[in-house]
Amino acid sequence: MTVDLTINGAAHSLECEPRETLRTVLRRAGFYSVRYGSDTGETGAAAVLVDGRLISADVMLAVQADGHEIETVEGLTEPGQMDPIQQAFIDTGAIQSGYSTPATVLAAKALLASNPDPTEDEVRDALSGILDRETGYLRPVHAVLRVAAIMRGEDPENIDVTHLDELVGGDGTHRDRDNLGAIAPRVVLSDDVPRTRVVGQPEPKTDAVKLAKGNPAFTDDIDLTGTLIAKVLYSPHAHAHILSIDDTAARALPGVHAVLHHGNVERVRYASGGQSYPNPLPYDQVSFDNKVRYVGDRVAAVAADTEEIAKAAIELLDVTYEVLPAVFDENEAIADGAPVIHDEPDMEGAEDPSRNLVHHLKADTGDIEAGIAAADRVFEQTFRVHQVQQTPIEPHIAIAAWDSDERLVITSSTQVPFHVRRMVAPLLGIPVKQIRIIKPRIGGGFGVKQEMLIEDIVGHLTIATGRPVRLELDREEEFVSSRTRHPQTITYRTGVRSDGKLLAQEMRIVANTGAYGTHGLTVQMVSGLRGLSSYNCPVKSFDCRVAYTNIPVPGAYRGYGAPQALFALEVHMDDIAEALGLDAIEFKRLNWTQVGDPLDIAQQLGEGDQDASTMPLVTSSGLEEAVLQGKRAVDWDRRNDPSWKQPEDRPNIRRGIGFAMAMHGTAIPGLDMGGASLKINDDGSFNLLVGATDLGTGSDTVLAQMAAEVVGVSTNDVIIYSSDTDMTPFDTGAYASSTTYISGMAVKRAAEQVRDQICDRAALDLGVDTSEIELHDNAAWAPDGRSVTLETIALSTLHQEGQHQIMANASYVSPESPPPYAAQFAEVEVDIETGQVTVIRLVMAVDCGVPINPVTASGQVEGGMVQALGYGHCEEMVYDDDGHMVNAAFGPYKIYRADEMPALEAILVQTMEASGPFGAKAIAEIPKDGVAPALRCAIADATGVRINDIPFTPERVWRALQDA
Amino acid sequence: MITKYHRPLLLADAIDLIAQPNTTIIAGGTAVNAGTDSTPLVAVDLQALDLSGIESDGDVVHIGATTRLQDLIDSDQIPELLRDLARREAPNTIRNVATVGGTVGTADPESELLAGLLAYGAKVTLARSGSQTEQALDDILDDPQALAGAIITTVTIDTAGVASAERTGRTPMDRPIVMAVAFHGNDGFTRLAMTGVAARPVIVDPGGITDLRPPSDFRGSSAYRRQIASVLAGRVLANSRGGE
Repeated sequence: MTVDLTINGAAHSLECEPRETLRTVLRRAGFYSVRYGSDTGETGAAAVLVDGRLISADVMLAVQADGHEIETVEGLTEPGQMDPIQQAFIDTGAIQSGYSTPATVLAAKALLASNPDPTEDEVRDALSGILDRETGYLRPVHAVLRVAAIMRGEDPENIDVTHLDELVGGDGTHRDRDNLGAIAPRVVLSDDVPRTRVVGQPEPKTDAVKLAKGNPAFTDDIDLTGTLIAKVLYSPHAHAHILSIDDTAARALPGVHAVLHHGNVERVRYASGGQSYPNPLPYDQVSFDNKVRYVGDRVAAVAADTEEIAKAAIELLDVTYEVLPAVFDENEAIADGAPVIHDEPDMEGAEDPSRNLVHHLKADTGDIEAGIAAADRVFEQTFRVHQVQQTPIEPHIAIAAWDSDERLVITSSTQVPFHVRRMVAPLLGIPVKQIRIIKPRIGGGFGVKQEMLIEDIVGHLTIATGRPVRLELDREEEFVSSRTRHPQTITYRTGVRSDGKLLAQEMRIVANTGAYGTHGLTVQMVSGLRGLSSYNCPVKSFDCRVAYTNIPVPGAYRGYGAPQALFALEVHMDDIAEALGLDAIEFKRLNWTQVGDPLDIAQQLGEGDQDASTMPLVTSSGLEEAVLQGKRAVDWDRRNDPSWKQPEDRPNIRRGIGFAMAMHGTAIPGLDMGGASLKINDDGSFNLLVGATDLGTGSDTVLAQMAAEVVGVSTNDVIIYSSDTDMTPFDTGAYASSTTYISGMAVKRAAEQVRDQICDRAALDLGVDTSEIELHDNAAWAPDGRSVTLETIALSTLHQEGQHQIMANASYVSPESPPPYAAQFAEVEVDIETGQVTVIRLVMAVDCGVPINPVTASGQVEGGMVQALGYGHCEEMVYDDDGHMVNAAFGPYKIYRADEMPALEAILVQTMEASGPFGAKAIAEIPKDGVAPALRCAIADATGVRINDIPFTPERVWRALQDA
Repeated sequence: MITKYHRPLLLADAIDLIAQPNTTIIAGGTAVNAGTDSTPLVAVDLQALDLSGIESDGDVVHIGATTRLQDLIDSDQIPELLRDLARREAPNTIRNVATVGGTVGTADPESELLAGLLAYGAKVTLARSGSQTEQALDDILDDPQALAGAIITTVTIDTAGVASAERTGRTPMDRPIVMAVAFHGNDGFTRLAMTGVAARPVIVDPGGITDLRPPSDFRGSSAYRRQIASVLAGRVLANSRGGE
């Protein structure tokens, strides 16, 4: 049928089926800003204005909209223009991946049309329908308040970088927090940091315009003629042999072009984790197996003309299963008599598959029993950390197609394009050189896309059909068939001297890697590394068994084993302090690592090729300052005020504040490698090509800033492109908090070579020595003030004299991994009659070295804290007895929305990390580490109840209160 | 799956259409369109029927069936507490299209708004071929067949009284595990409604909370729900009476 819509003021008559949603029809008509988040309306990625009202276009039929006026973000501006709302989003740093930014901009437009002077609560309500996994909502909310103020002709709140006074050694009479703008980046300067012009500035994101305007930029926005739609049949059983697959009816269905399963796809072993060569063992996966190991495991895939036909074909597949007993708990899985999950003879590299034991990791720095025996007090405590999902709003999506050279081009929302190319080649049976992986913009990743997850499926189907094939996971599939965080059972045993000094610390883990090994080794190594690095202790011991089970597969998730470990460690330390009658922060300070202290366990639990003869040391730490800044921001001393802790007018409420310290790593030393290429253009601008993959974090912007700093131009004179295996240098990808540090150093080095080439030419032109030339303001300057513009140098070198392309390539791998530090604080209210915990405030003061861009760095902290809050407070993957996830949808799987957020504050404490580019360390993952333990310690402060399992859902807390 | 679509202009036509087999009513459509049912269905969209609007008659408020939840929130004729419950029903992207009639028709088992309407003693006007009847919301929620062949035209509440609501959830705007709402009418009568203690929002005898047999799920066991039901009921009953 035909629907008549007025879209952005223009009449459109569009053909559609009655069942089709407004989102589907708008996207087909080219309005790509209307994005897929789920089919049930709750993500808001597809929100548009219908007669001026914000409505999720994925739960409105196109026919319902017949006769109505639709507005999408495409209608706001012409190319080259920017709406004030979009500009405010850019100016405030409200855009990370930008996947749902068009919807958020429309929410602002609808609100401001009816309410030019909204309160913060009203803005939060207006944004309540758009889930954001990235920003923590703080900057989007303040972007709306800002544009509202500007449109009213008022001065908007200050968003400029604000320098806080140093508190360590200070006199305590500081007024620097007075009138502090809610989103003004807070930076505590360090006086040993050299002055820079571009680095350290709150530059707008290089990709902000296309993201604010909803321009086609994501994998889903690629529209190739003749594209087939793929669908996957997932296992309904947690553990079963596939006895037979009858695909006759599916193949006979008109419009079906291929049906693939273990019967017709070659059996090639692999590990799906997107990691460096050689991929860590075990190799326990094949594209399609004759056994399924969790509900959501792959059984078969089809490619068909339409999604409906593909779904129908999936329904027609007749699979006979022999259902096997299943095991879901990691401790039960490695006990006697458990069902054996990997009994196939061709799997490689697991410790003892017959006992579901994938790995048994051990490390120590001495005799743990002797260390414990020497202690005055010994504390032992066991924790259980659960399974959660990354839930990027853009799910996994990949499109494969043959190009005109008959090479296979896979466009994929991946964090690891170069690993994917290398890993998918043997599965598809074609050489690496015949494959090109393109990573367009990504709508969030958080580790779940550090995996070769679906690229082999679209590759196989394109090879089978000769046609472009597109596969996008729906929301339920994203939950059950992609990747998750590893559950663990963690036991700490710690020996302490009577004065509070740690003497011996043992960490034992039984980890659950689900049905496949993928990141099972390395995540758990990081758990040990992080769980035994924060504090000095003469004897440390790590013992970790990694178990196969029949749950959906854990993989990489921002933090990568550290959030689990640091929850247990920080809680354990807090409880030891309580038992010793010591102040928790003072007890931790007595033991935490400082500059010059050894990172001893890293020698055994580091992944990369490290020099075992050299003990890595802490080279920079702003932890002391971070603690003081955080205590001040959270008003820590209220902990000592009984009338605050137990408000008289609310007898069922108890208040508390908790602290956790966090220490993370910066990239994998000796392993993570990034490359960069920089060349000059006719006008003195530059192309910067990097293999690093910006997931929305702002890494492209940060890398462009570094190049701009070195060659003396503005950030917007550097056109950055990432990443494409045909076009850009290699990079291991976006993981391990590595991009700023590793890829950044590659960019810096390439830029320094380019700078030298420019200076050589300028020295000739200006008649001075090369060493005397300085680059700034798009020109090369002699000491006497004469200059030659970069444009002149570019035109000259490209066209006129001594012609050559000024360009350079560089790459970098680091011998060390300098730790960022953070102080995390959480303030809570606990209803002691119901167990409900309400989180009031989260403050994180973090030392990330020199923040290259204080806005994007603050955004990383704000958004990361909110993800971490979900981990500690409300998110959990829950299964029935047969292993079916019972809450595979937003809502039942609860992530925070804009109108229920605690207050958030990020404080950036500078240190000069000499090994990093411009002094930088990592910031991406450390915000995930401290919230759960700080929350737990806040609950203990409020109620005296000490809980060792997360998340802190009402019944769990209530039961603990009952037991107290 | 919607295979055919009608947008009748007259209520009588809509009633005739839904008498056909395999029809589904679309008021806002947010629940129907989020469904994954592959059965072919004929959609009867009520948007053109002019059933939207809020009218007051003293303390009695008539809410048209296709009144959007957002319109409830924005109306000063609706008691503050019900406006808040409408806000909690769904985020704005949904409640800008979801309707009061649709909320009654889809009968979400954990709907706070339905509990609120129960506490306010809501009556639902149903139009059938040649007849118009009024039924208590509680009776409609009790009987899966109550809406067969009928179109909800109006939901009516009497607002003369004081109400209070309390809830326990994982986060402040989460669907509550248990929620209680009490309405203390000016006539001295108190009505307590709850979610999370039965298969649907229910009116609860304040003296019978310990007899409840709540369903269990991962967010709350039956025993826990019963315990906090007592706590929350105690609070809302005290608050609503205290407000006299």
